[in-house]
Amino acid sequence: MTVAAGIGYALLALGPSLSLFVSVISRKPFLILTLLSSTLVWLVSLIVLSGLWRPFLPLKANVWWPYALLVLSSVCFQEGLRFLFWKLYMRLEDVLDSFADRISRPRLFLTDKMQISLAGGLGHGVAHAVFFCLSLLTPAFGPATFYVDRCSKVPFFLISAIIALAFVTIHTFSMVIAFEGYAKGNKVDQVIVPVIHLSAGMLTLVNFASEGCVIGVPLLYLVASLTLLHCGKMVWQRLLESRNQSGPALR
Amino acid sequence: MESSSILDSLGVEIIGVMAPVSICMFLVVLLTYSLSVTSDTQIRTAANLIYIENPSDSATVKLEGSLENAIVFVVLVAAVTFVLVLLFYYNFTNFLKHYMRFSAFFVLGTMGGAIFLSIIQHFSIPVDSITCSILLFNFTILGTLSVFSEGMPIVLRQCYMVVMGIVVAAWFTKLPEWTTWFILVALALYDLVAVLAPGGPLKLLVELASTRDEELPAMVYEARPTVSSHRGRNGGGGSSLRVLVGGGGGGGGGVSDSGSVELQAVGNHNANLDYNAVAVMDIDSGDGNGNRDGVVRSPLTGNARERHFASPLSSEHSAVNRESVAEEEMSPLVELMGWGDNREEARDLEESDNIDRGIKLGLGDFIFYSVLVGRAAMYDLMTVYACYLAIISGLGCTLILLSVYNKALPALPISIMLGVVFYFLTRLLMEPFVVGMTTNLMMF
Repeated sequence: MTVAAGIGYALLALGPSLSLFVSVISRKPFLILTLLSSTLVWLVSLIVLSGLWRPFLPLKANVWWPYALLVLSSVCFQEGLRFLFWKLYMRLEDVLDSFADRISRPRLFLTDKMQISLAGGLGHGVAHAVFFCLSLLTPAFGPATFYVDRCSKVPFFLISAIIALAFVTIHTFSMVIAFEGYAKGNKVDQVIVPVIHLSAGMLTLVNFASEGCVIGVPLLYLVASLTLLHCGKMVWQRLLESRNQSGPALR
Repeated sequence: MESSSILDSLGVEIIGVMAPVSICMFLVVLLTYSLSVTSDTQIRTAANLIYIENPSDSATVKLEGSLENAIVFVVLVAAVTFVLVLLFYYNFTNFLKHYMRFSAFFVLGTMGGAIFLSIIQHFSIPVDSITCSILLFNFTILGTLSVFSEGMPIVLRQCYMVVMGIVVAAWFTKLPEWTTWFILVALALYDLVAVLAPGGPLKLLVELASTRDEELPAMVYEARPTVSSHRGRNGGGGSSLRVLVGGGGGGGGGVSDSGSVELQAVGNHNANLDYNAVAVMDIDSGDGNGNRDGVVRSPLTGNARERHFASPLSSEHSAVNRESVAEEEMSPLVELMGWGDNREEARDLEESDNIDRGIKLGLGDFIFYSVLVGRAAMYDLMTVYACYLAIISGLGCTLILLSVYNKALPALPISIMLGVVFYFLTRLLMEPFVVGMTTNLMMF
């Protein structure tokens, strides 16, 4: 439609992450760097995936299972990458801790670790929104809009912004969950993250049916809110635990 | 300070460099995006002397022509840089400074003026010609004055550096496509040679400047934060500035003419320091008497530190009269690579010292990063994001290398190469993939 509509779509997809960025991430330069590098990791993963799938593109528009395969492979690849990201982060955390010891500052607080994982997750989420939604928004700034056949009630840009918002939420907070799960060795949290990611990816397959987005998008938001809820509960518990353990060490 | 975690201050330097670069790129993208419709005219610059690209030409003609263009441009840039070195060698410093002022005036006045005009036309801003010219004149004069004067606030200088980068980059984005790519790659290669190879013009310039303790007459962005904002952000955490890219310290200033670039960390040493101390190979820097860290560090990383002059630029700024110990701490990222060492007492010392040092980034870096992103913006937004991320990560890599090698480094090669690679990967591989996915509303 117009510039206003384009900005509106962009803010719909990225508004919450923008406020997270301004209120939490931008205060600490290191978190910005974490966010940037995690965004880069996601971009690289996307490029690798698209390189792998390039020979098979374009997929036939009326068969759904290649898409399912594609989503499955992508999710598996990205979850593997998340594990690598965690390994890298572990090394970084050791270095930071020893560094903190050396300049006689306190080590990383629990909140610091959580903020790092939040920044990492936000990087993934932002990258998702940027490449799957924002980068296609260019025509939205023009005088027209676009509808896809399978979801004819809502403009394409609006629906992709809404889906992107759900994925930003899922990516952001599942990273927090995953890092906590890895750190505590909690099997449930470790497993739940790929499950969330996979189920969210698979739910977008519902959009493949004609007018499927009427069902698919609410289900996606259900998954997103469950992720958010789980993450919130887990963080709250961890904060309570650590307060009980170490008293005022927490800021 | 004890209660604050190290996260609060880590990486301020990197962000201090990345933020203006990001702003510059963002504004150039905005400019090219909003003005691309109106300004389709080909421009004639030094960058396309030989061959004027025609969209209907065949690929081989384009290839040869843009290759020739790139070679001619790089040769020109190299020649100008050598002239600069010669002039500097024979102490025509004032001439150089005035020349730089003139070119700043020229760039802001004509190129900037043209851009403002097209903005005014495009958005039909109601402004009469007299007001506009007075405004432009004021803007230009302020920019000219800010180039080499000590009295100006650093923020103003930084702003004008970014503005100049934007103006020149927006100008360069009008170059035809193939020529742009070839020139970018050629410049990246040239930059690599000019800064690192023995006898490279920029290397000569830096060494000359550091032996003479002179400021280089060049357009350089100083990421040295203003003292007040620095304080405000860190709440008094003194040593935060170089925690991540702790290197810095020695070496001269970053140099560039508008075509050549480099990047390096600079120690703001007090001009009163005894420069003869350079010769003292005093490893134990705990006494804090101003040994340059180029000397101090040489036993640590060993390689070729001796020929790297450590005497810093004294004319960096006279306003800050803070004594800085030429000692630095290895950044955590450096340690990650295995260059770590233990120097406890030094660290304690510098904790108490408030050292003010910044990273300098040549104006050329700003320009050519932005040119790349601006060129990407003419294709699609997706390539813009990919190139932005690639350039920023390349800059980050360069900064990390800077803290490892601790001497002037070219900032273009890694970033430009990554940017070009990511551009083509995105364009050829990713776009069909992503568009195919999203138009079916599949995401993951």
